[in-house]
Amino acid sequence: MSCDEKLDNICIKVPPKEAMTRIVRLATAALSSRVGLNLDQADDLNTAVEEVFRSIIVGHDQTDDLFCVCYRLGDDRLEVIMESVPLDLSDQSSSVNRYSRFVIESIIDDLTDMPNPDKGYDIHMVKYLAG
Amino acid sequence: MPKQSRKSVNRSEIRALFLSYRETRDPKVKNALVDAHMDLVHSLARRFANRGEPLDDLIQVASIGLLKAIDRFDPERKVQFSTYAVPTIVGELKRYFRDRASTIRLPRGLRERTYKLNTAIQQYSQEHGRPPNIREIASATGISEEEVIEGLEGAEASVVASLDTTTENGELSLLDVLGGDDKALKNLDERLSLAGAMSNLDPREQNLLYLRFVEGLSQTEIAVRLGISQMHVSRLLRRALMILRQDLMASTEPHSL
Repeated sequence: MSCDEKLDNICIKVPPKEAMTRIVRLATAALSSRVGLNLDQADDLNTAVEEVFRSIIVGHDQTDDLFCVCYRLGDDRLEVIMESVPLDLSDQSSSVNRYSRFVIESIIDDLTDMPNPDKGYDIHMVKYLAG
Repeated sequence: MPKQSRKSVNRSEIRALFLSYRETRDPKVKNALVDAHMDLVHSLARRFANRGEPLDDLIQVASIGLLKAIDRFDPERKVQFSTYAVPTIVGELKRYFRDRASTIRLPRGLRERTYKLNTAIQQYSQEHGRPPNIREIASATGISEEEVIEGLEGAEASVVASLDTTTENGELSLLDVLGGDDKALKNLDERLSLAGAMSNLDPREQNLLYLRFVEGLSQTEIAVRLGISQMHVSRLLRRALMILRQDLMASTEPHSL
């Protein structure tokens, strides 16, 4: 990513609860619309975001933690960064992780996961506009 | 439902009623027990309100749970009846939602909007050879972008698409049109070592996942191939993925659910 690029950043903090899945999906759908992703692309991104969010919900449903979902709106893409996620996509010894990676990689244009300095992993997903 | 005034019954009276009911199975005693616990029924039913079902219906369902709990409760146990009854009533309510998941009817306004969106998406995809974005759907339907998003997500959230429902252009069910003989499907589970979770899906659901995630067809392309709408493909895929994830979670972390 170049520093010259103009990107709008939007971050939301959400409690990792089942009911919040819809909020995250609505936000993703709205911002997908804003950058001009078509329905297929928007749904792909929503599926990937929901997949990561569901991994956060597991084991956190009763906590007061808030998880940060950041969106970066570019001229030709939408980036989603989910921070401190307890999902190690590089650990392929777990069938759930294998499944998550398979689903996300199949539908996202760029996927990067990096250890977060504090805890978990930051997962960075990019969906580019078609054509 | 109008709120009825109910006579307050204390704990020792409840116990006496249960002891009497255990001996006599007298319907009048049972009615008194029901009446004494209707506040609990209302309270639990209200927890499940705003999910698309009328509160009165939920109260009826919760009342069935209460009747079962009264019949099964042993007053000799060192536990309060309400403690015993809550899981039974909640279980009845959950079962009701699960059984009705594929048949819950959307409010008329949302149904009409969903139909309008569906038609516009299909028409646009045919005319332009690509799926529309939200702005284009809004422009084609005269519905605001916010309402389009709300409509698409609302339909997604409130309808669990069933493979048994008929396609939108005929009488065939999706079970018929999806097929399921592709040998490559059998390899998908092995390739991913998903602990056999794929086998828990219907062969047609496996096929749908295969078309999307292995063949790489877009939802619109799958919709054209199957003669159903993109929105329907989206719902079916979401459902299949949720089942797969739940099965995987259950098989790897049996105590977490």
